[in-house]
Amino acid sequence: MNYIFKRLGFYLIAFVAAVTINFFIPRLMPGDPVQMYMAKLYQTSGKIDAETIAAVEKLFGFSKTKPIIESYFEYVGSIFQGNWGFSFSQYPLTVIQALTRGLSWTVFLMGTSLIISFLINNLLGIVAAWRRGSKLDSFLTVGGQLMANIPAVVLALLISYTFARSEKFGIFPAGYAVTPLFRPANVLQYIGDVAYHAFLPVTCIVMLQLNGIMGMRANMINQLGEDFIAMGRAKGVPEYKLMISYGARNALLPVATTLAMQIGFMLGGSLIIEVVFNYPGLGKVMIGALDSRDYPLMQGILLMSTILMLSANFIADMMLLILDPRLRKQGR
Amino acid sequence: MSALLEVKNLSVDYITLNGAVRAVDDVSFSIEEEQSMGLAGESGCGKSTIAYSLMRLHRPPALIADGSIKLGGRDIIKMGEEELRQFRWDQISMVFQSAMNCLNPVVKLEKQFFEIYKNHGITKNRQEARARAEKLIEIVGIPKERLNDYPHQFSGGMRQRAVIAMALALKPKLLIMDEPTTALDTVVQREILQRVYELKKELKFSILFITHDLSLMMEFCDNVSIMYAGKIVEQAPAQTILKNPQHPYSYGLKNSFPSLHGDIGYMEGIPGSPLNMSRIPRGCRFQDRCFRAQDICFKEVPPRQQRGNDFYDCHNPMGTLTGSRN
Repeated sequence: MNYIFKRLGFYLIAFVAAVTINFFIPRLMPGDPVQMYMAKLYQTSGKIDAETIAAVEKLFGFSKTKPIIESYFEYVGSIFQGNWGFSFSQYPLTVIQALTRGLSWTVFLMGTSLIISFLINNLLGIVAAWRRGSKLDSFLTVGGQLMANIPAVVLALLISYTFARSEKFGIFPAGYAVTPLFRPANVLQYIGDVAYHAFLPVTCIVMLQLNGIMGMRANMINQLGEDFIAMGRAKGVPEYKLMISYGARNALLPVATTLAMQIGFMLGGSLIIEVVFNYPGLGKVMIGALDSRDYPLMQGILLMSTILMLSANFIADMMLLILDPRLRKQGR
Repeated sequence: MSALLEVKNLSVDYITLNGAVRAVDDVSFSIEEEQSMGLAGESGCGKSTIAYSLMRLHRPPALIADGSIKLGGRDIIKMGEEELRQFRWDQISMVFQSAMNCLNPVVKLEKQFFEIYKNHGITKNRQEARARAEKLIEIVGIPKERLNDYPHQFSGGMRQRAVIAMALALKPKLLIMDEPTTALDTVVQREILQRVYELKKELKFSILFITHDLSLMMEFCDNVSIMYAGKIVEQAPAQTILKNPQHPYSYGLKNSFPSLHGDIGYMEGIPGSPLNMSRIPRGCRFQDRCFRAQDICFKEVPPRQQRGNDFYDCHNPMGTLTGSRN
């Protein structure tokens, strides 16, 4: 329990740090978002009075008159209250509203790819290590290495062109997460449609993550050299059990930690995947925000990525806690 | 008394890119029932390779090239996989070199005992296995409640004793101890070994004790074999090796360790470093490091001088002129 609280405390500090950076960066940048918005407003409506300026300032939480510390605490307070401000570019929508749709698709895409690649990588890594030196091992090792070195954008374009855009093999959709204007008759049909649209991007991400085989293989080989494997064999533990509950179980521990880091890289990589496959995820929202200089939305996305990262880390921590008894009694 | 374990002309190769390296070369020895034999030598001389071969636990690139290993008349080398799995631990068990690391870190001790019983068809009932494990673990002086703990919650000495308890779970006929106490301090070392030897009297098993610590070996073993570069160069009762070693290597090894009793004198040590096994010279393998080497040692393999069960391979043995403390 103590361990969990310690981790939670750590994540809270990390979160506050991220919020702080998030608060200061736009304020350190040249140019004033409020001024910029005013200019835009001026172009459309022509006339602005002091009242409007005050209202806009209040809206975006930017103020020239208030001391910066005061607005900082106001900002932190509103973040925790779930009030992340309004989006410039999609004005009546709040930042959270503008985020949610993209976020849910990205989480779906990332989550599915992560689970699939976790299963595939670790399974293949275990088998490769167990049959070290075999043909299968060399094939997986070389293949994984190869995949690791293809740039995301090249693979994504290749897959997208071949299986979505070409005349001959283009059996998959070239964009969107569901068919536009599609009225599914039941849930199954909807799920089918979503899976159909997600298939190519997920495949692409899973392929890009295939180098995870190497990590698991290396861990597993390390574990197989340990004495408790030899003792297990001497004790009469059957081979398949040695592989799974002696070798793999212990080899998984470091992998669970890297899993969290992987999510960070995936969030970055998802930008490219989402653009190439025209998938309406967080990456697309991010690009839209950058295009229209929508500061609150950008901040919101950064903050959301932070939250995603931290939750992923927390989940990885909890997984380790279940897998590794050495962590459980630490607080005692 | 009859021979329990008979090893004849055992050779073990390690396959490398530059051809096979013979780590154990034509080694023969036997252990009688309830006897304890010591196997001593420097690191890399093939002691552990022998231990692993006796249970056929060696993994590629190691390979038994020749010889036979018989325990109670059954040839271990000819066994099939399943027969071998049943045979291990039941007839021969082993306390590993770094017993600190030979417990699965993510499995409770109780379950690690249970696995032994389950995989040898003794019992599938957890309660029954627990009762047996409790008895064993109390024999080695660990409170039975601690079976619920994970390996990392034990001290090094306790883990070692737990492993010994596991090794005795199926009442094997032979217990191999491969440098069982190297990682422990001398006080704990003696405590554990004494307990093992008390148990040996009680449960009547034989012991193959592998170490490079000769003085420890002298206290606990009946017979001692000295190994150098994959060969047993001298075999004799412990007292003979202690008082009157014949092979210069035995003599050097004996003088490299302070005695547990008696005065602390100057330790001579053995000059040079262990032989590179991929480049074995003509003649005696110990030639370069031997202080008694003569011309013949560089030309001819030393003949075996046999006296009953004892022997040594040397052109220029120590003879009787050297006492144990000069």
